[in-house]
Amino acid sequence: MQRKENETPQGQAASVLVEFLEVAITAVVFLKGVYPSGAFERRRYMNVVVQRARHPQLRYYIHATVSGLLPFLQKGMVDRVAVVFFNTDNVPLEKFIFKLTVNQSYGSSVEGVDLQISLRSFLAKLSVSESLTKKLPPDCRWEITGNFQLLPETGTSKEANFWIPTDTKQWEQPLFITPIRSMSSDPLCLQFYIEHPSLSESSVLREGNSEL
Amino acid sequence: MDSRLSNSSSSNHHSNSKKRKKNATANNANQKTLGVAWGSKSLSASCSSRKSPFSDFSSYMAHKNCKLQNQFDSEASASAARNTIFSGVSIFVDGFTVPSSQELRGYMLKYGGRFENYFSRHCVTHIICSNLPDSKVKNIRAFSAGLPVVKPTWILDSIAANRLLSWVPYQLEQVASNQPKLSAFFTLKSSKMSEDTSTNALCQVEPDVEDSFPRVGQLKERHPSEAGEMVEVCRQISNESNDISSKKTDVFMMEEPISERVICDEEKLAEANSSETNNERNTEGELDPTYQEPSTSVSIPCSDNQNVHQFPSSEATGSSKQCHSTLTDPNFVENYFKNSRLHFIGTWRQRYRKRFPTLSTGLNNGISNSNKSDINSVILHVDMDCFFVSVVIRDKPALLDKPVAVCHSNNSKGTSEISSANYPARSYGIRAGMFVRDAKALCPHLVTFPYNFEAYEEVADQFYSILHRHCNKVQAVSCDEAFLDFTDAMVEDPELLASSIRKEIYETTRCTASAGIGGNMLMARIATRTAKPNGQCYITPERVDDHLNQLPVDALPGIGYVLQEKLKKQSVHTCGQLRMISKNSLQKEYGMKTGEMLWNYSRGIDYRSVGIIQECKSIGADVNWGVRFRDMKDCEHFLINLCKEVSLRLQCCGVQGRTFTLKIKKRRKDADEPAKFMGCGDCENLTHSVTIPLATENVEILQRIVKQLLGCFYIDVKEIRGIGLHVSRLENADTSKQGTEKYTLKSWLTSGSASVKKQKYHMGHNKHNSDCANCASSHGCIHSQGSSFQIDNKILNIHVSGDPISTPPPLCQLDVEVIRNLPSEVFSELNEIYGGKLIDFIAKGKGKCESSSSLGNSLEDDAAICKEEDLPYSDPIPLNQIFSENKAMQHERVLGSGHGSCSQVTHNSNIERDDLLPSSLSQIDASVLQQIPEDLKAVILEHLPAHRAQAFCSTPAICPGRINQDSVGVDTSKNCPGTVNHALNDSLRAGNLPSWMDKFKDSSCLRKLREIYHRSGFNSQLSSVLPQFLSEFHHLDLTQEIYDETVNIMCELLKQYVKVKIERDIEEIYICFRLLKRFAVKSQFFSRVYNDIFPFLQAAVDDNYGGSLFMP
Repeated sequence: MQRKENETPQGQAASVLVEFLEVAITAVVFLKGVYPSGAFERRRYMNVVVQRARHPQLRYYIHATVSGLLPFLQKGMVDRVAVVFFNTDNVPLEKFIFKLTVNQSYGSSVEGVDLQISLRSFLAKLSVSESLTKKLPPDCRWEITGNFQLLPETGTSKEANFWIPTDTKQWEQPLFITPIRSMSSDPLCLQFYIEHPSLSESSVLREGNSEL
Repeated sequence: MDSRLSNSSSSNHHSNSKKRKKNATANNANQKTLGVAWGSKSLSASCSSRKSPFSDFSSYMAHKNCKLQNQFDSEASASAARNTIFSGVSIFVDGFTVPSSQELRGYMLKYGGRFENYFSRHCVTHIICSNLPDSKVKNIRAFSAGLPVVKPTWILDSIAANRLLSWVPYQLEQVASNQPKLSAFFTLKSSKMSEDTSTNALCQVEPDVEDSFPRVGQLKERHPSEAGEMVEVCRQISNESNDISSKKTDVFMMEEPISERVICDEEKLAEANSSETNNERNTEGELDPTYQEPSTSVSIPCSDNQNVHQFPSSEATGSSKQCHSTLTDPNFVENYFKNSRLHFIGTWRQRYRKRFPTLSTGLNNGISNSNKSDINSVILHVDMDCFFVSVVIRDKPALLDKPVAVCHSNNSKGTSEISSANYPARSYGIRAGMFVRDAKALCPHLVTFPYNFEAYEEVADQFYSILHRHCNKVQAVSCDEAFLDFTDAMVEDPELLASSIRKEIYETTRCTASAGIGGNMLMARIATRTAKPNGQCYITPERVDDHLNQLPVDALPGIGYVLQEKLKKQSVHTCGQLRMISKNSLQKEYGMKTGEMLWNYSRGIDYRSVGIIQECKSIGADVNWGVRFRDMKDCEHFLINLCKEVSLRLQCCGVQGRTFTLKIKKRRKDADEPAKFMGCGDCENLTHSVTIPLATENVEILQRIVKQLLGCFYIDVKEIRGIGLHVSRLENADTSKQGTEKYTLKSWLTSGSASVKKQKYHMGHNKHNSDCANCASSHGCIHSQGSSFQIDNKILNIHVSGDPISTPPPLCQLDVEVIRNLPSEVFSELNEIYGGKLIDFIAKGKGKCESSSSLGNSLEDDAAICKEEDLPYSDPIPLNQIFSENKAMQHERVLGSGHGSCSQVTHNSNIERDDLLPSSLSQIDASVLQQIPEDLKAVILEHLPAHRAQAFCSTPAICPGRINQDSVGVDTSKNCPGTVNHALNDSLRAGNLPSWMDKFKDSSCLRKLREIYHRSGFNSQLSSVLPQFLSEFHHLDLTQEIYDETVNIMCELLKQYVKVKIERDIEEIYICFRLLKRFAVKSQFFSRVYNDIFPFLQAAVDDNYGGSLFMP
């Protein structure tokens, strides 16, 4: 956790956040049971028990995606990071949203302890939030998406080329939000909630699924 | 030996007796110098195997001894001697004597003594000889095992006098003069012993000195272990009856058997003092067995065996239990490191840096731009030859080609390890890390020296000043080894240079050094290996391949035992064979880094450049020798010292650490006492570590952490054989200090107000209260604007509530608001103390309050609020903070003083602690948090998440745009209901829940909410206030209370709250509305409120999140 002296508070917060997101996303994937529980192993992060993917590719996917966010996080360009579970038709069923605000005007140094304690509560809450989520159909897939405030120009930076537009469809009806945890510890403000399609839409989905 | 003792120690008995047997054979092997040396201990082995023919030599010897004794006994009875001058005396005749040994045997037969053909410390009481070779005189203890060495004339004269004369005058001159003086060693420690006790003890001892030996034997039977000491004392005294000072010290030994014995046994620790006394001391430990066997009992050999068994066991327990080195030496840790070679080497670098600071730092800069792969680079590796030995013997040229080793102990049975041996010694197969006893077995005339750390340091300094003179790129590897980079120096002939450096080193230090020259560090090092001892070697780039081809792999740096074994399995023994393997397969087999290293090194490639000094990653101290604890207290005492040591080291290096690791060596369940005396033996290694948020080197914090860590082990302290404490995640102390200094409680206290500190000490007895004060002061310290004001409050608080005895603070320091809000009885009491001046003061204070932009906002007093609200907030940013804080302070103060008694205040402050808590973690000073006791810290952390949201409420700096509105007076809210929304808006936008809570006082139901809010301890989270509100709400007659206006106000409140929170804390909103929904079922009022506000809420959520809140 030793940070370089010359790093901005935003930079510091971003690097902590990236680390946290990697863990939290793994936790979400574990929670939703997309993979058998044997695909994860218990680890400790910020002194709470978390899961870590055993499969190197899964681990790499999460790690690489989140690390790819880092430069944008530092600039405060990322609005939210979502873990989207969708069915075979690319229709999302459930989204786990991390909505971030990195206060760009914050000047003083970051207290690592604050961040850690606040972020830890996310992991703790997440592990008991299974009841808030919906049961997924057996053959669903998932992806990590990042919502940028403005699209980075692809040609300019190497990091930007890393990101591709998502194929996942958008919900047409208004969605429902179930907040899980919020925190604000300058310069970082993070909200974590689940998005579900509106009841009508989800019933359509269910019917569609049964037809399939 | 009585049976009681054998019973009590029966548990250890078996293992010990087994071990003793082993030791006995080991002893025998070591007694070769004595010619015939078979102890009666080996008898024990023979008795069990008597029926079988002699299974080995020792049983044969034992049998022979038995037979000789029987012969002697029968002859003695045949001679029918009635004279018993020598009863109890058993002699062993060594070498040529006049009269001859056979004549002496005859005398002994005749006069009731015993004669031993073979030396045994257990049977023999006197050694008779008329001349001794020099080697035996030098090592008299090993030879005589502490027994008196007497001239034969003693026997003749005794017979002539017809009584047993004291043997002291007949002592062999060589031995008598050689007797080492313990006084030199012991006076240091025992000087504190009072004179009279020593004379007392002398009185007791004196009769024994004159006494005949049987009596001593009797004495021994009663108190075996003590008697052992006693005899020792007697003998010593008669030995040196002239030397009073040494007498005294001997008596001390008896007086303080435990502590002194330990010092005797602690070879490692005490040895540095003098090798001579050491010699003596080591044998002393072994003396007791010699004397435990009264000479009269010889006739029953079986009892001998028994005794031999018993005594060692009791002695063993004695030495391992009483003679705790960690126990008895209060400065154990300090002494341990004082005498530790590894410690010397470890800390040497630090001293080196201090000595050559500019050189080592300037060097670093130079390195960064130097070309790594310079083809013509010349690296010189200089290494002193067997540094630790050659430094010690540099003044003793006679020892130059004798085998010499450096070691803590000189005892030929010692288990102390050889740390360094010179080349003559190495030719005997003596290696570093060997036990002395093994080394002495290999080379009996090995000379050992203790460490001389001052000399090492001196020589190392000389060595490095020479190197630095020749080259500006020096990388120190160790105190005696360095790399020099001559690439830039354009050296003509590196060999010439090397020899001149070596010559200079030799002339200055009188120690030889070897040098290797190569194209890189690896080759230079390998060259040195060939060059040793006292030579030099230049491996030119052309010769690299030849040289490496036959080089065994373990000669490469970085290849240790494990790697070597792995390579051996692949049948790779030389670098040439290693080169056959491709880089890829090496990397696959041994990992990326190691594989690459192997590949490179086997080709003589080394990219390291001279001068890169590795920053140390962790600092710590381990003690794995002499660690024995009796109870928790010992252990804690030891840990405290260990912490001091580690803290000192941290300070020495100028770093602070965050992660603390406690390593414990725990004796394995079935492990015996270790072979190495007081060593750690076979142990499990257990570790626990903890990371704290803020780096520290503070010894007190260390101690607390370590104590906590120790608790994690759940270990019986008796099982602990070694403890290490390591600190990692190091940070530079200077930089971290700058950051934290101004935030630490200490600096704040000293700079802010000395009086507070003083008061705090007054309050020392009321710990809890002062902890609260800590909280509060951390608070104050953060909001520096408010601090001075708060300090004063603090003082008052302490005075009023906690410490009625101390003098009250001057009037000017009193807070008017507080005084005014005091309950009347307390106020009158205070008034008395101030002699009635308080009333005047209040009157004055009121005026003051109005004129100044006072911060005091009384919650209980509506009138005060009126005044308060009239005041415009001129400087809202700090005010907001101080405002809420001040309230908190007041609240506590009022409560505290209301009770007026110490204990109750403590209790109350417990409840009210919430008030003092900063509203979010970001407001907490981590360094202060760290200094708060663990349990308290846990409580604080537990409470903090509840305050989380206030972080943005109470720190308006986040949204500076909104604060501007705050300057509007809030009093309008009361006077004209029409503008209530506006006013609410303002205060809420400013984000201060306390201020909008005040708006409810005109509505009876909402007033309730406000009261609850106050009671809850000014928690700014609505979600935490609401549940309580509901429970109280039921008691109110709601049907009478529902007015549109109330609903409106409530709705407005919630709207504002949503607006404030929606963007950053949707969770809080969610909780509030779920609560509200729950209330709505039960209460009409809330159902109206909920229905009114819900569309607004969903709209707000939709605006911010593009969806609606899911309300189940």
